[in-house]
Order: sequence, then C-alpha cells, then structure tokens
Amino acid sequence: MISIASTRVPLIPPEDIPLEDKKENEFGQLTSQEYLYQGKSRDGKALQDPILDAPAYHVTLITYLNYLILIILGHIHDHLGLTFQKERHKDIMEQDGLAPWYSAFESFYVRRLKQRIDDCFSRPTTGVPGRFIRCIDRVSHSLNDYFTYTGETSMCLNLSSYNYLGFAQSEGQCTTAGLEATDKYGVYSSGPRTRIGTTDLHVSAERYVARFVGKGDAMLFSMGYGTNANFFNSFLDSKCLVISDALNHASIRTGVRLSGAAVKTFKHNDMGALEKLIREQIVQGQSKTHRPWKKIVICVEGLYSMEGTMANLPRLVELKRKYKCYLFVDEAHSIGAMGPTGRGVCDFFGIDPSDIDIMMGTLTKSFGAAGGYIAADKWVIDRFRLDLTTPQYGEPTPAPVLAQIITSLKTITGEVNPGEGQERLQRIAFNARYLRLALQRLGFIVYGIADSPVVPMLLYAPSKMPAFSRMMLQRKIAVVVVAYPATPLIESRVRLCVSAALTKEDIDYLLQHINEVGDKLFLKVSTGKAGGSLDGKPPRWDIEEVIKRTPADCKDDSFFRI
Amino acid sequence: MIDSADVPEVLPSSIPVPSAVVSTASYLWFYFITFFKMIPGAHYVIDYVKKSHQDDPYRTFVEVLLILYSIVYFLSKPKKKGAVDQPKLSEKEIDNLIEEWEPEPIVIPDERTEWRLAKIPVVEGSGADNVINITRNDGNEAYSSVFNLCSFNFLQISRDPAVVKLAKEIIRNYGVGSCGPAGFYGNEDVHYNLEHDLASFFGTENSVLYGQDFCIASSVIPAFTKRGDVIVADDKISVSAQNALQLGRPTVYYYKHNDMASLENLLHELDEAEKKEKLPAIPRKFIVTEGLFHRTGEIAPLPELVQLKRKYKYRLFVDETFSIGVLGATGRGLTEYFNMERATSIDITVGSLATAIGSSGGFVLGDNVMARHQRIGSNAYCFSASLPPYAVRTASAVLQIMDADNSSVTKLRHLSNTLFELFHGDKDLMQYIEVTSHRDSSVLHFQLTAEQRKLKFNSSIESVFQESQYQQQHCISDYYLEAWEEEELLLQRIVDSALQDANVLISRDTVVLKQETLPLTPNISICCNSSMEESQLLDAYNGIRSAVIKHCSGS
Repeated sequence: MISIASTRVPLIPPEDIPLEDKKENEFGQLTSQEYLYQGKSRDGKALQDPILDAPAYHVTLITYLNYLILIILGHIHDHLGLTFQKERHKDIMEQDGLAPWYSAFESFYVRRLKQRIDDCFSRPTTGVPGRFIRCIDRVSHSLNDYFTYTGETSMCLNLSSYNYLGFAQSEGQCTTAGLEATDKYGVYSSGPRTRIGTTDLHVSAERYVARFVGKGDAMLFSMGYGTNANFFNSFLDSKCLVISDALNHASIRTGVRLSGAAVKTFKHNDMGALEKLIREQIVQGQSKTHRPWKKIVICVEGLYSMEGTMANLPRLVELKRKYKCYLFVDEAHSIGAMGPTGRGVCDFFGIDPSDIDIMMGTLTKSFGAAGGYIAADKWVIDRFRLDLTTPQYGEPTPAPVLAQIITSLKTITGEVNPGEGQERLQRIAFNARYLRLALQRLGFIVYGIADSPVVPMLLYAPSKMPAFSRMMLQRKIAVVVVAYPATPLIESRVRLCVSAALTKEDIDYLLQHINEVGDKLFLKVSTGKAGGSLDGKPPRWDIEEVIKRTPADCKDDSFFRI
Repeated sequence: MIDSADVPEVLPSSIPVPSAVVSTASYLWFYFITFFKMIPGAHYVIDYVKKSHQDDPYRTFVEVLLILYSIVYFLSKPKKKGAVDQPKLSEKEIDNLIEEWEPEPIVIPDERTEWRLAKIPVVEGSGADNVINITRNDGNEAYSSVFNLCSFNFLQISRDPAVVKLAKEIIRNYGVGSCGPAGFYGNEDVHYNLEHDLASFFGTENSVLYGQDFCIASSVIPAFTKRGDVIVADDKISVSAQNALQLGRPTVYYYKHNDMASLENLLHELDEAEKKEKLPAIPRKFIVTEGLFHRTGEIAPLPELVQLKRKYKYRLFVDETFSIGVLGATGRGLTEYFNMERATSIDITVGSLATAIGSSGGFVLGDNVMARHQRIGSNAYCFSASLPPYAVRTASAVLQIMDADNSSVTKLRHLSNTLFELFHGDKDLMQYIEVTSHRDSSVLHFQLTAEQRKLKFNSSIESVFQESQYQQQHCISDYYLEAWEEEELLLQRIVDSALQDANVLISRDTVVLKQETLPLTPNISICCNSSMEESQLLDAYNGIRSAVIKHCSGS
C-alpha cells in the first residue's frame, strides 16, 4: 500500500536561476525582425465558406474500430469486475440503500476509456505558465488509479496554456502593478459588488475594458465561466429565443438553459442555415402558442476554441440587421489575440463594435489575469448591473487581478512601454501562421483559419491521443489532447495554443518533433484541399524545406484559404 | 442462347392472360432465378421458400403482400409531424410577417428601480478595512472615515502582513493568472496543496477547488442529479442553490424553513410513494440546506438533519458559505458547532474562500468518489480556468493560522454576540424591526416586522411572493413590485441616514427579485469582523438605532 504522503503533489520551490534566464523562460526574446507579421483589417469582407479536409476512408474505419475494441474491452472489464471484484467497484453499486453517486452506464466512458489516458490530463505544474511550463513528474499506478511523485520536474515547451500574448510573467510591468495593488488593496475584495465590493480600481478597470473593446460600458466578473452561466437569465425568459451555434461553449449553453429561453441551434458557421432558421422562427413564433417571440438573440463565439474557426461576423451583422435580432459574441479566445490591434473579432473584420449588441470575453487568456467581462452600451449595462445575479450575490474580482488587467491592456494599446504591445501582437500573428502553414505542408490535417492562435491538429483514432501526448512529453513539449465529447466522436485532436512568448526557433523545435511523431503514428493524412498545397496534390514536404521556406511564405495570404 | 423449353411457365394456361405478358414474365422470372442461384448459399433460400410454400401457400401470399407494402412505404415521402395544419405561406407573406415583427428592446430601462445604481458605494482602497472612504452616485457624494460594517472578511487573517507577504512572493514566482483550466495544466502544485489542506482541515477525504463561490452550488448539484432524482430543499435557500435545482432537472420538494417536523412528514410521504412505485433502481436523493442562511442568518439543525437523512437514505448537501470560519470553536463550521464529524454527517459541503477565509474562489468537501466524479462532471470545474495561484496559497496560509490559533474566531463570536444582544435586547427597536439571525452569526440580519409591513405598505411576505410569482410566470417584461420597492426604499433611507448622520456603512441585502423563486423580504445586514472593538460596535449601534427609529416611527 502506498502512503498518502507520497500521493500528495509536492510544493516545488522556485528554481534558483539568474533573473535573465527566468525572464527568457517566461517570454523568449525576439530573434529576428523577420519573424513578425502585422495583420490587416478585412474591411468588412466576409470569410469564404470553409473547406474541411476529411481523411481517407480507412482512417475513419480504423477510428471506429478503435472505439469498438475499447468499448468491448471495457464491457468485458466491467462484467468481470462486477462479478469477481465487487470491492473495487463499490462506487457504481447501491450501498446501504443509497444510490451510487453515478450509475455504471453514465460513467462507462469515463471509467473505461478516459481513465486509460488520465495521465495526459491534469498534469500538475509549478511556476509561471509562460514560454516554458514546469511539469511535475509523476508515476502512474494501477492504470492511472493514483499517482506518486518523485519530486523532479521537467521544463516543457508550453503549447498548452491560453497565454496568447505572453502576459503570464512574473517579471515586468504587470507583476509590478499586481504587487502594488496587493499592498494597497490586499488580496481580498470584501463582498458583492453592489454592497461593498466596488473599489476605484474596479471602476477604472471597467472603463479601460470598455474603451478597449469599443463599447460604452463594461462589467467585470471574477470567473469566465460564471460570466456566461449567470448572464442570460438577466434579460431572457421563456418567451425569448436564442439561436445558438452548434459548437458554442458549455458556459453559454448553461446560461441559456438557466434563463428558460427557447434554444435553436444551427450548424457550425453555416450562415445559410442560420438565415433559414431565423426566417422560419419569426414566422412561426413561440413553439406551442405561435405568438411572436419577444426577442431573438443570436449567440456565437468569436474564435472557437476547439476548431480554430471564427464567427463570420460581416454576414452575422448583415443578418442581425435585416431580421432585427440581437447579436451576442463570446470573445473568450479572440479578445487580445486577434485583429491588427488585438481588439478581437471586430478589429479583425473591420466592423464597428456598435454593430454587436453584447460583447463578452474572458480576461484569463490573452491578459494573463482571471475572470470575464460583458460590454455593451451604457444604458444596457446600467440595467445589467441591477439584473445580473453575480454582482449582487457573488464575489468581485480581486485587486491583483484588476491590476494585471489594466496593465496588460495599457501595454497592448501602447500606453505603457510603447511598441511592446505591438510586438506581442505581431509575434503571435507570425507564430500562428507559421505553425499552421508548416503543419499543413508536412501533411497534417489542421482546422481553423490562418490567424487563429488555436491550432487544432487532427489525430482521429482515440489511441493516438495518449501516444501523441506521451511522446511529446518525452520530448519536453506540453500539449493538450481533446476528444469526444468536446469534439465529434471520430475527430480526436491535439490543440496547440500558440503564444507570443514562443520564438521562431521554439516552433522549429516543435515542428521537428511533431514531424517525427507524426510519421511514427501515421498522422500525415491530409489531401491538401484545405491548405498547404497549391497544386491539388497531398502535401508531404520535407521538414528542412518547411522550416526554410515557411517563415517567409506564411506572411502571404495566398497560401491560406481565408 | 437459352432454349425456350428451359423457361418454365409461371402462370397456369387456364387463366386467360395475353401470351406476350406470360412469356415476358416467364423470362424475367427465369433470369432472376438463374442469377439468384449464382449467389453462394442461394439454394438454401430457394429450398426454404419452396418448402414453406408447400406447407402453407397462404403464408407466401401474405409475405409477398408485406414485401410490396414495405417497398411502397419506403418509397413514399415522409409526412412532417404537425405540418398538416400549417398554412403554406408565399415568400411575399413571409417577408411581410418578418417586416411586421417588432422585437422588444434588449433590456427595458426602468426608472422606478434604478435608484439603486446611485446607492452602490465605491471604495477608495480596500473594502475590507474598518474605516474607509467612499463615494456614491458617480462620485457626487463623498464620505470619509466611514465605519465599515459590510465586509465579509470576518476573520481578517488574510490581511496579516505575513500572509500578504506570502501572496506577493507567489505573484513573483507564479505570475497572476493560471492561464488554463484544471484539466489542462491550469492546476499547479499550490492548487493541489490547498485541496489537500482543505480536506485535512475539515476532516474529509477530498476537496475540489472552484473559481467563484456563487457558481459552485449551481454546478455541483446538476453534476449529480438528472430527471427522476429527488431533492428535498429548505424553502429559504439562496439563489445559487435555487438555480442548481433548476439546472439539474430533478423533482424538487420544499420543506418549511428549518422545520424538522415538516421535513420528516415530507420524507415519510415520499418514502411511501416510492415504495408503491417500485422503481427499477433507487434514485439519487438529496436534502439541500445551508449552514448559516444567506438571507436570514439562521443555523440549520444539523443533528436532526443527519438523523433524518440516515433514516430515509438521503444525502445531505450543505452550503456553508457563511458558516465556515464563523461557527465552531476553531471555525470549522456547522459540524464543529454541533460536535459532529464532517465526513460522516455531510455528504457535500460547499464553502467559500471569499468570505471568512478572505481569499478568492470556493471549494467543495466530500469523499473521494464524489470528488472524482465532480472533476469530470461539474461544468464550473471543467470549463473554467483555475484560481490565480496567489489566491490559493493565501487560503492555505490562512487555514494554517486558523489551525494553530483560534483567537480571531473566538473574538468574532464575542463581537457577534455583542451585536446581537444590542439589537435583540432593544425593546424600542423591536417595535419596528425583527432580528432574524442567530446570535453566533457574524452577519446580523434584520427586517421590518410583519405588522409594520402591513401598516406601512399593506403587504405581507405572501402577497409579495404571489405577485412576484405571477409576474415571473407570465414573463412580464417590465417586472415591478410596488410594495417591495417601497419597503426597499425605506430600508435604503435607513442605510443612508446611518451613513450621513453616524458615518456608519451598512447595506441592504442586494437581491435580484425576479430571479428569486422563493418567498423573501427586504433585509438589512450588518457584518462584524474580528478586528473591531466593542466600543465601535456600540457607537455604530447607536447610529443605526436612531436611523431606524427616525424612519420607522410615524406612519
């Protein structure tokens, strides 16, 4: 039996290294002016309809077969376990007249499939999740039943954190501001916003956020998920309709469900289907009574975190105007990371923010802080301040986080350290385009649009997920693998999150290893029709050639389909 | 070439059919059979059909009909459900309907309720200090050196210089944000250590950290309930738990607030009903209540609850947002207050790190199996970034101090009792107001007495609730309750007077009435903390007292 002490994650003391090295580990210095890309606004031009690259039939077949084998083995395992090892399966059986916490059927996928690869998730880390992330080494026991820790750590190249602009740092202006705020305001923020929780720092942070996104006013919340989950009930009821993209985040779905509003979904980014649905709904009205809807809200995300695709904003604005609907855009991943000046999707498409009724976003990602915001016209926000539950009952954003938000915003706009924000934006744009085009040229299937800092690379067979994740960890690269239910059943993928903190050489290192692992796991299955090939042949470039030619090519839009 | 002699005649010559038809049919049949025989194993099928026809010719007829019907059915166009009574509209009519449709504005501004905006205090500096400077109404009103009776930082331990120093050290080593959800490299060593510290401090097997206290209940309960599960809840639970019951879609029953007889009756009834029903499996059953109630400050009778939950095989869910750090000799909450063990009495405890512990976020305590499932099934855990590392480390440090030294808990209790005695023992005040909170609650809640409510506004808790329910159910867009609004205004005048005349900051319990699905009354709360002095409380009490009397006496 293993003692409890050894299964406890150890507290790792900070590394004793020179300040320069520490800074470099958190945010790599730019190695050449060549490795920057200044994005341009699209001036209201809509996106082309996306092409999805599908793999050959045998890949799909193998993937299904893979699931079949896992499911059959799982059922055999369950059957034997419940017959011979009752002691170990107490958690799914009734006990003393109490129902189990979860039923055997509900938890089958988690117990028999996910648990096999649990070592790829929830890896404990320490320190700053910047350019490198320090993973704490662990040893798995009894098929990931529990882990023990050796006390060692490995520095891994970080392709997993949502550190888009590289503001996860422990040195620099943001940290200084955070420390000053801790001195002045303490770590604690006293109570709900409407009672005592509003400080002058909240007011100024809200002003900065509103100005940054181009709206009249904004509200801040201490948690991104909670922002959405407790938002929609403030202005929707069961006589309102929400038209939601099929791939919207769970927080939006929870929030809408809580509001009681009717929900209709349309196929991801399919603007034709959306228009048809809106027309039908306005004509038909409420589902039973056929009375007209009180209001219709279209909910989309700016950048989809599992797909790397973007909402087709110009088309959405056109539809919204034509049919008098309201538009809600969740910019969790796009704010800060997209657009020539980092102001998100509006900036990217060159659309006036006043065309979007409600803009929501998180501050966890690009700004290296925590929480979320909602921005709208002032008269709308004034109402929200009274009708939303979080500010009346929940905790407010703490001061150090606010200081981080304000300082990172000022850095992006150039009020602090002029030029630094611009460089960060140019670096992430270059890194995202370089990695994407390089992977496509190597022959991998990659989803999403050219400038997306989220680069999802398809693995298909579920068994390739742990293989990929473990092989990358051996090569000191931290990646995130995702599968069903976050993606369609057969489209298991690895999600690479590009950061401005990475240098071009880091991406070269990454590409060399992905290339090797990709060959071993037979991941190069693209046909090239969605990108990476101009002649219609499946691209299978040599790695040297890719690294030599892509940095220049990736700045050219003609190599992408956007 | 096929010899015509080989082709059998499929129709008997006795029936008068044109010979061209007969021969065509014969040829078609012949080719069909010939090709059919080429398929391996086809002769078995033919033998079988022949034999079956021999035994029962009628059956062949029925089967042929069936095959024909299935072909016709397969080829026919499916009819849309409900499409029958929908009139077919022309494009022009559709365009007209779209043109005619006028949506409501996204929100409806309402001046009758917006006075509240101007009453939100903006603190210069930390709102956790005892003496603060505030402004209101967009900076138009300013008050300096106000005595603050609103802060939830009851124990004040997180303001200890050593704790702040540690928090700053963590920011220097970890940065501010964690930049990822728990499952994807977001949980760092400090997070796992706090989970361990919480579990060992409260004596449970495991604990799970969340990013915001308000989200926890509404995420945890739905993770464990689905249609058919049963929840029996106190009828004064907070909005967070009310939301949870709505999201989880269980069957919900309410018992009368803290009334164990009512609970027992209900459980007994449900038990009888279940015995009659004979379900294939036992549904999951929970009793949902709070340690110290958000709205009233009363304490839930844990021993009786535990006894009932054991008797009727329920699990107990307790929201301890306000009781942790406040109740019990060392601040271990409701269980310590009643001298019980947490691990064996409460199945799911929800606590906040943003009240007495004085950091950010919240947590859930319980056994390993529950915690493990929660890490996969609870939305607010899976889909949200982890807490900032400094907040987590601060909480660990506070727990360590609480474990070593309970002086602030003791002092807090003493002050809470003092405050309670001051108000509760005041005969003059009790004509107008009623203190609902328990003497050990660090938040003192008071509201108008039922008689005053009747006298001043001609309303009661029931009449307000009925009106509110009506408006909620009919989705009235300009939701407004006059009696409620007037009572809130009266309470706000008390708050304002206390601020202007006595320089004391107290607050109404801010609520969103249209989200509340249970009866409630307007309320004022007064929070004390362990760094206050008795004399300060006495001064504040005098100020509040005169404010109450000023606005409540006279009709």
